[in-house]
Amino acid sequence: MMTVPLGDMLLKILPELGLLVLAAVLLTLDLLWRSRRCRFLGWIAAGGGAVVILLSLLFARPGPEPLLLWGGMMRLDSTGFVFRMLFVTGMAITALFATENEGICEHGEFFTLLVISTLGMTLMASVVDLIMIYLAFETASIPLYALAGFLIRDKKSVESGVKYLLFGAMTSAVMLYGFSLLYGFTGSTNLYEIGAQLSAGQLPAGLAVLTALLVTVGFAFKVSAAPLHFWAPDVYEGAPTSVAGFLSTASKAAGFAVLLRVLLVVYPALSSLWTGLIAALAVASMVVGNLQALNQKNIKRLLAYSSIAQAGTILIGAAAQSDFGVTATMYYLMAYLVTNLAAFGVVMVVGRAVGSDEISAYAGLSRRSPGTALILLAVLLSLGGIPPFAGFIGKLLVFGAAVEANMAWLAVVGVVNSVAALYYYLRVLKVVYLDRAENETQPLNMTSAWKAALVGCVVLVVVLGVLVSPFYTWASQAAASLIVY
Amino acid sequence: MIPISWFLIFSAALFCIGLFGVLARKNTIGMLMGVELMLNAVNINLLAFWAYRYAGQMNGLVFVAIVFAAAAAEAAVGLALIISVYRRRTTVMADELNLMKG
Amino acid sequence: MITGLQAFFLVNALITLFAAVKVVSSRKLVHAALWLVLALMGVAATFAMLGSRFFSVIQVFVYIGAIATLIIVAVMLTRNSMEDVGPQVNRGWWLPLVVVVLLFVGLVVVLSGWGDFGLSTRTVGAEGENVMELGKALVDPNGFVLPFEIASALLLGAMVAAIYLATDRKEGKR
Repeated sequence: MMTVPLGDMLLKILPELGLLVLAAVLLTLDLLWRSRRCRFLGWIAAGGGAVVILLSLLFARPGPEPLLLWGGMMRLDSTGFVFRMLFVTGMAITALFATENEGICEHGEFFTLLVISTLGMTLMASVVDLIMIYLAFETASIPLYALAGFLIRDKKSVESGVKYLLFGAMTSAVMLYGFSLLYGFTGSTNLYEIGAQLSAGQLPAGLAVLTALLVTVGFAFKVSAAPLHFWAPDVYEGAPTSVAGFLSTASKAAGFAVLLRVLLVVYPALSSLWTGLIAALAVASMVVGNLQALNQKNIKRLLAYSSIAQAGTILIGAAAQSDFGVTATMYYLMAYLVTNLAAFGVVMVVGRAVGSDEISAYAGLSRRSPGTALILLAVLLSLGGIPPFAGFIGKLLVFGAAVEANMAWLAVVGVVNSVAALYYYLRVLKVVYLDRAENETQPLNMTSAWKAALVGCVVLVVVLGVLVSPFYTWASQAAASLIVY
Repeated sequence: MIPISWFLIFSAALFCIGLFGVLARKNTIGMLMGVELMLNAVNINLLAFWAYRYAGQMNGLVFVAIVFAAAAAEAAVGLALIISVYRRRTTVMADELNLMKG
Repeated sequence: MITGLQAFFLVNALITLFAAVKVVSSRKLVHAALWLVLALMGVAATFAMLGSRFFSVIQVFVYIGAIATLIIVAVMLTRNSMEDVGPQVNRGWWLPLVVVVLLFVGLVVVLSGWGDFGLSTRTVGAEGENVMELGKALVDPNGFVLPFEIASALLLGAMVAAIYLATDRKEGKR
């Protein structure tokens, strides 16, 4: 292994170092500021995120050759880098939504936990060692359990925190058991070395399949794929809305980051088994998510089931197991991150104003606040895969990858499900635009932080849907650097 | 000497008992105890592989140390969440935590 | 012929597994927590048998000294649940039982296909693990300093979270 000077290694983990400093700053400011923390901590977290992204783009960009750092714990490549920037973006937007959000912003711990969880996610995307993957998994999850139960005076929130914790702890223990067997059979904890040994056929197939099944449990939980999706609707409904948005986007994308790496690096020898397994998860998630979403009355539960179905669609790209498939998955995740964050943002803004998350409470929204209604329109159409929004390109690429990998049937299932999903997205839009309500002249309360976050997301939704090529280039570079040894 | 298979089977049994605890227990603290048993089984696995095959390498031992740290963190946050849910709901039984349905 | 060490392993394993079964089946949660302490002790003895003295001590410190104590305190704080008379497992408990029995059989069958399953010579010496080497590896930039440092970030986050969640504030006051 090439040895890299310590200074260089520190520079290459600039995103992580930046997040650590940010967490410390937020914790200190929370102590020092009493009255101002509600208005400013969120801005500082978001601004810190922007600074981290800027500094990383300037100083910590990966070179053309992937680089192993920190004793082989970490691999600096475009795959990890794109994901890391994605998670920090998600963190910044979530922090803006939490600004001036009563019940959350008075407690500065919220932002510290959010940043530490993001630190875990950035590591999930870039580490290539079983020890670090498990640790990053837990660093991302444990603060999220607390964030889901953050409203300690709210019965639903504490309940959702406990549910998330128990389910998460169980699945991560099962995954860890799989890791321990992988270490035992190969003697290595490095994914690329394990992959080389498995490809060389030094292990009976049964053992490899067993470890594959065990680790899939952890990943399927993280991306909320059926049949390990039960937690999602309850947790999203009970958790603070901004946390639910973060859970359904950044946390899910982090699960996909690890899934893609493990799938393509460790198990190329088992690719036919994986194709079947991932395709089955994809179909199950799409069907279960969409069927359950059809009759939901609560918008957060609707978005939860919709996000299960979306996870199924994204899995199609992973099932293709090709460079193009990974490119499509990454593009879809970028599009999905900004789209779903905006969706939960609108739900939060409306929920604050009307005090309810029922879909019926959205009646007359187009008259109360035409701007918010327009944002919701763009976001739901993007989720439904309608051009010119980001979701359309994501779906197009994912289905294209399935066809290219000779799995046209999977693409057909995906298209049918997308059409079915449009029904419930349009049902919400009908309530927003056509139904009338008594209080519809009352304007919505909007703070500048929420406006900035929502507008930023929607601009990205449109840009990702129209200006495809720069983002596509990023995604394909990232895909190309994933498998190079 | 004891064959490694004894340790692996012992660990598999402990893991399965723990998993049963998580799946079947009603009390959330009881479920958390099941998770602790599962993590202990993992540590037996790791140390058995280390002792029988890879004693020259450090990665197995570091893995065990990291599992300890993560288990402690998980237990602390888990019990804090359970105490916080008990304060609001005066119950820690999983089947009574059912405000959300559908 | 069974040697003394093997006999000790079997006795210890039986006690540990029995305690573990009691952990998941005891009606009273305090009893379950005390059985958990016994099971964790058995695991510590297993670590010692594997030649890892350091982790066997750490097991006693961290699992029994900290985690089990925390669990017992939590059981006492949520006291009315330990007085519950009803069954402590779900009515459909047989389904998880079938699942884990099948899983156990599957694990054993698949594991026995491993080439080194019958391995009975250890590579670790009589002096056990080299704690000095472990400590050095944990702070070596080309070793394991990254997980070591990230673990501290995780513990910080967990501490912040636990303190926040467990503190009961009065309305309108911090």
